[in-house]
Amino acid sequence: MKIFIITLLLATSLVAQDFKATNIKGDVKYRSGTSEVWVEVNEGTALGSDDFVITGAKSSVQIKGSKNIINLEEFTAVSISSIKTMSTDDLLLALAMEDMINAPKPNGKNNSSSTAVYGNKEGQNKNPDLKADDFGLKRLNGAIRLAKSGFKESSVVFAKETYRKYPDSRKIPSYRIFFAGILYEKGLYEEALAEYLDIAKLDLSKEEKSKVESQTQSINKILLNN
Amino acid sequence: MALNLKILPQSSFGLAGYWGLQESVTIPFYDYESNSSNYFGIKDWGISLQYGAEFSGSVNSSLYLLAIAKKLGNHSLSARFTPGYQKEFLFATGESIIINDTTTQSLEANYNYKELFGLGYSYRFNEQFNAGLAVRFFSQDFKQEIVKPVFGDTLYLVRETLDEKANMWNVDLGIDYIINKEFQLRAASINLFNFKDGFINEEFQGFEMNQNREALLMASYMPADFFNLHLLYETSNSFQVSTTGYAKGFTYGLTAFHDYYQEPYIAGVVPALGYRTDFFEVLLSGVKYFSERNSNASFSKFYEEGINNIINNRYSFDKVVLSLALKISSTPEKKVELINVDIVRDIYPTFYDKYIEQPFAYGKVLNISDKPVNIIPSVKIEGVTQDKIQSPSQMIAPGDTATVPFYLIIPDKYIIDKATLSYADFYVTTSSTEPDAQLQKAALINSINSWDGNVSNLRYFIMRDIDFSMNHAKSILSKKKSVIDTIPSAISVFIKSKILFNDFVKGLVYTSDPRATAEYVQFPKQTIELKGGDCDDLSVAYSSLLESVGIQTALVDYKEDSEIRHVNVLINTQLASSQAEFITNNDSKYFIRKNEQGKDEIWIPIETTSLTNFDEAWNVGVEKFNREGLEKLGIATGKVDIIDVY
Repeated sequence: MKIFIITLLLATSLVAQDFKATNIKGDVKYRSGTSEVWVEVNEGTALGSDDFVITGAKSSVQIKGSKNIINLEEFTAVSISSIKTMSTDDLLLALAMEDMINAPKPNGKNNSSSTAVYGNKEGQNKNPDLKADDFGLKRLNGAIRLAKSGFKESSVVFAKETYRKYPDSRKIPSYRIFFAGILYEKGLYEEALAEYLDIAKLDLSKEEKSKVESQTQSINKILLNN
Repeated sequence: MALNLKILPQSSFGLAGYWGLQESVTIPFYDYESNSSNYFGIKDWGISLQYGAEFSGSVNSSLYLLAIAKKLGNHSLSARFTPGYQKEFLFATGESIIINDTTTQSLEANYNYKELFGLGYSYRFNEQFNAGLAVRFFSQDFKQEIVKPVFGDTLYLVRETLDEKANMWNVDLGIDYIINKEFQLRAASINLFNFKDGFINEEFQGFEMNQNREALLMASYMPADFFNLHLLYETSNSFQVSTTGYAKGFTYGLTAFHDYYQEPYIAGVVPALGYRTDFFEVLLSGVKYFSERNSNASFSKFYEEGINNIINNRYSFDKVVLSLALKISSTPEKKVELINVDIVRDIYPTFYDKYIEQPFAYGKVLNISDKPVNIIPSVKIEGVTQDKIQSPSQMIAPGDTATVPFYLIIPDKYIIDKATLSYADFYVTTSSTEPDAQLQKAALINSINSWDGNVSNLRYFIMRDIDFSMNHAKSILSKKKSVIDTIPSAISVFIKSKILFNDFVKGLVYTSDPRATAEYVQFPKQTIELKGGDCDDLSVAYSSLLESVGIQTALVDYKEDSEIRHVNVLINTQLASSQAEFITNNDSKYFIRKNEQGKDEIWIPIETTSLTNFDEAWNVGVEKFNREGLEKLGIATGKVDIIDVY
């Protein structure tokens, strides 16, 4: 497996940056390190790599670093340390680390519900009984924001960690399909295939099912031709 | 009478030919003539006889040799009785007397040379060197008729017989140098020491055995069991060339010999064919001379030329010899050799069962038999193990060399305060209880507090004092019984861990190892009683307290810097991921691992050197784990290891 033959070259992007919060709207809070307390984010609040930012309903914030910038919308949670560019090799290592830490595997059972928690089409599907302010869902929304801000590799790592800590969040097909798509896009076909095969066990809509099947077939062709 | 006879004691000629030095056959070695070092490839007792016939017109059969050999460790002893090693010469002296009835009667002389018995000793210094000696007893029994005048009224001539016997002891030394499996060199003396009686009668002087000092040099090339090549050279300018071998129990030998004192240049051959098992050998050999044998010769010619060897001389005849050998032994023949042992791991007594899984030494074992052999390796370490510790058996094909692992079990209560140099005796046994081969190697036994720096081995320190830890932990928890009894069972493990930590750190001081080494680890009892330790000691002690009350732990090995390593503890709270909020609202303070049943469980890192309180130790542990293990991908790159205690 590719994961095991990659040599680590930690990118300079892993070096911590200083960030500042701007364009704050509504309920935006942050938590530092091991603190149990959420603190309100104000304009210009400095954020460090061990900080975690969360937004409430109808809230948003822009987080600016010297090189990176990200806009968080409502019901979003993101770790500042995740706002970083990673190489594909780093992503592979991080995925390998998931296995090493013994990441949870899907149980293949899903009691779906129709609660929509995410404002765009990724979330407009069958979801488990999760509320919009569920921290796991907020983290997945944050992961999507990371991806859309250009931190695709980092977003996958952040999503994977979320799946591990909030197992119910794994049951939402739309998010899973989104992050599997990133793996496919990055050429990590084996990892993407494993993810699609796992997603196929969930209760999928027709569109989702079609998407998963086509992606699976596409990857199989690629792997057969290699 | 000129003293020019060349009657020498036995030198290198054997009735079975020359076979070099082989463990696989024993019969040829009862011939001291070709085995001056007296090395025997037997394990205990060996008995051999040679019975043969000489074709001198009529067939004369006799028992040539009866021998017994005994091996005692590296010592080999042997004795042989050689009634057939004799040659008798009967001559008319050329004088005659006329008896009263005018008949003439010739006077006769009889010269009888015998080798009666011999004794041998050999010592095996190591795999490459043997040395030994052979002592042989010879007898020379001479008779000669003479006419003696008797003076009286009439002059009478009376026939009388002069009869005299002279004995001789002969001592020779030999050494063997086995360069390797294929090449060997041997050297021996001929007539090195002689202790003899002289003949009183002038008539017999000059007929006695000559004892010229010579040397015997032998070389063997043995590329395969079925084909060996040998060369034997005597400094008297005689030599033998032979080929020998064995396959599937059958042995063969063919020796051609050049004798300085015989014609033609290759005077004859000694073919041999035999069969051997682990218990007996039988060998049929013969001596075929290429020249016409002399059954008659004049006394004057005998006087001029003499003979040089009792059983191999110009007056010897073709022979057939049947040799039998029995290997009488309470222990079977050696089937394997232990060529070498390499100790690959230092011995840390605290890792009492580690060497069951990982061999601490490997041996090279050679199957010297012609059958597959099932070997059982075992080891005993002086002062550490009382009995031999057996390793799994292994099958070795004939002639093959196998690498054999040696495993070890150290008694779990074995105590040693300081590192000690001991000796490990390695054994390889085949079919009996007695080892076929053994080898001794020096082995360093570290103290019980010694540690090899491998964090996974800290579990031995954790578990060694588990009884103490359990009593200590229960004592602490019993004081908080009222708290524990009232909390939800889901967070019982978490609360117990907290109570134990907060009690554990009371009065503790962080101290480094003696002489700042990282190879010394305290047992939990020592850490708690001494009230101090470094990260290894504190992690071991805290983990031991938790494990003793059934709380699963793991150690985190931070290897980010090759010089300064760090260890702390992970605790399995046994909480499901959905129960995280029972202990924290910050999801960065824990991580998820699956248990054996596939169920997700929350684990938390604890920095044991943070000697304040549990919450602070948890926070410090989390920061380090998240930074080094997760953000820097240390777990993926191997710079951070999670090692389960169980």
